[in-house]
Amino acid sequence: MKTTKLFIALLLLASGLFFSCEDQVTTTYTYRTMMPVYLEMSDVRARLITTEPAKPLDNPGKIYIYKDYLLVNEPSKGIHILDNSNPANPINLSFIPIEGNIDLAVNDNILYADNYVDLLAFDISKITNIKLVNRVKDVFTHLYRHDTGQIITFKDTVITTDGPRWEIEGGWALRSDMSFTANLSAASKSYGTGGSMARFTLMDGHLYAVDESTMRVFDVQNATDPKFIKPINLGWGIETIFPFQNKLFIGSNSGMHIYDASTPHSPTRMAVYEHVVACDPVVVNEEHAFVTLRSGNFCVNGVNELQVIDIKNPYDPKLKKAYPMLNPHGLGLAGDYLYVTEGRHGLKSFNVKDVMAIDKNQLEFLQNMKSIDLIPGPKSLIVIGPDGVCQYDYSAPSKLRKLSCIQVTNPVIIS
Amino acid sequence: MRSKVLCLILLLFFSYVRSLAQENAFFHQTEVGFLWGKGIKNWDGNYLNRMDVSISTFHGVKISSHHILGFSVGYDKYDQIELIPIALGWRGFLGKAEKQRLFAGLDFGGGAAFLEKKETTQWSSSWYEGGMMVHPMLGVKLPAKKGNWALSASLGYKRQQVSYFRGFLDGSSRSTNALSSTTNLPSGFSSFNETNYLFHSLVFRMGVMF
Repeated sequence: MKTTKLFIALLLLASGLFFSCEDQVTTTYTYRTMMPVYLEMSDVRARLITTEPAKPLDNPGKIYIYKDYLLVNEPSKGIHILDNSNPANPINLSFIPIEGNIDLAVNDNILYADNYVDLLAFDISKITNIKLVNRVKDVFTHLYRHDTGQIITFKDTVITTDGPRWEIEGGWALRSDMSFTANLSAASKSYGTGGSMARFTLMDGHLYAVDESTMRVFDVQNATDPKFIKPINLGWGIETIFPFQNKLFIGSNSGMHIYDASTPHSPTRMAVYEHVVACDPVVVNEEHAFVTLRSGNFCVNGVNELQVIDIKNPYDPKLKKAYPMLNPHGLGLAGDYLYVTEGRHGLKSFNVKDVMAIDKNQLEFLQNMKSIDLIPGPKSLIVIGPDGVCQYDYSAPSKLRKLSCIQVTNPVIIS
Repeated sequence: MRSKVLCLILLLFFSYVRSLAQENAFFHQTEVGFLWGKGIKNWDGNYLNRMDVSISTFHGVKISSHHILGFSVGYDKYDQIELIPIALGWRGFLGKAEKQRLFAGLDFGGGAAFLEKKETTQWSSSWYEGGMMVHPMLGVKLPAKKGNWALSASLGYKRQQVSYFRGFLDGSSRSTNALSSTTNLPSGFSSFNETNYLFHSLVFRMGVMF
């Protein structure tokens, strides 16, 4: 009996203690966003730019082939210089730290690179002794905030809070400190990787640089002294620029613009070939433009196709034929051979001599070769994908042979 | 599926129990009862109480006349979450073997969440992960008139941690590895929510021991 009483007493004590306890629920929210970073351009200009020892490739952007060298942009950080005289064994030589750098082009031993709002010119005639020779100030002015003269950039940031719920079903995150447009532009810029996705291009002594809405023209006939001539408004959603025979083919996400650049300092619009909204790099030969349309995060339409556009009359481009594709990102044309990067689906090669029967002339579909963009170089086909920057021997166009892959520490994830 | 698993566990347990029932060196205790807890505050300031089923089976070896060491497995439900607690345990008895005895016990281990399926859609992925469990208890043993059997009733406190993760997949081509290495955003996600539950429960169970 005694034990029963003791038990009841303990029971009461235990439940008394217990009733003061309640469950605890804590939630942390971790999300990725673009945080605005404000910079004084005077501070940026005051920093000395000197070549640094080679760094591993982290998350490469645009790739530019110059002589036996590969110049690889590390978005917003700078440019890697690689010796590619043997494509089977590229050697990382050095790194030029350039803040805010997205694109580059080389003309006559002079490397042009953007540094936020400025355009820099480097003398790279001695690759071991690269020198900054000129700075053209205040040309990419869209980065300026109008009221303060500061530049505003966005830093990809991860934030963890225990704040209230903010996400919307379906994965879109919107907060007041998060800029949708910044996200958009950064994402579209993040793999401006040369080839069909270039945003800087050189033609006839002039440098053309496109951002989301504007083409800027520079006179670089005196290579060390680039002169900003004028901006040309293109409309929204500009993505890529491809030069061919005194014409500029500009891919936007609503169509392809053709500009006559026979007067190089003042290109004039010849035509705009409109199509549905989709992401679309362009490559061109004498008679045809090849455009890929892709459905993606920011390319809202669910269209995945390769379009062949007749441009014999550049004032009146006409769709000749469209071929369904899986998820084409970039493309490259080498003679009669067209290479299409199909994102996570792989890489395709076609003989496009007969543009009406491209689908019947598929040469290879390398499904294990996930890829985003490619550049047909003089020595090798350079393919950018999640495995890094890989080079292939394409001297036999129907049979690609892998030469090397440059590992990157932070490869792109293909959606 | 879950009920089948449960049946199987019980079946295995009872067949095991029968085979060992005669051996005195071993000790077995199986109890069924409920977990009662005071949930989080509702919007109107009231608590959302929970009361769910709890099953446990303990198997041990007598290391002295009063002490038993062993392990326990079971099944606990906390609102929508089903866990399998797996623990090391101790039971200590007060008083003589043939009479009513008080006992104390402690189970220490973890609650596994493998009954909760990972859900993945085109946009997101969500899953549970179990966590640490501590369960001190007090009870009485009421021996049967014949054999080694005894009824048992116990009252205890159970502290159970569980985590719920929900991540929204990053659909863009942006790379996440560099950010992930320095932050707690797992690779491939654009956002990630982690909810940590700490359940304090009062546990009352009755069963048999021998």
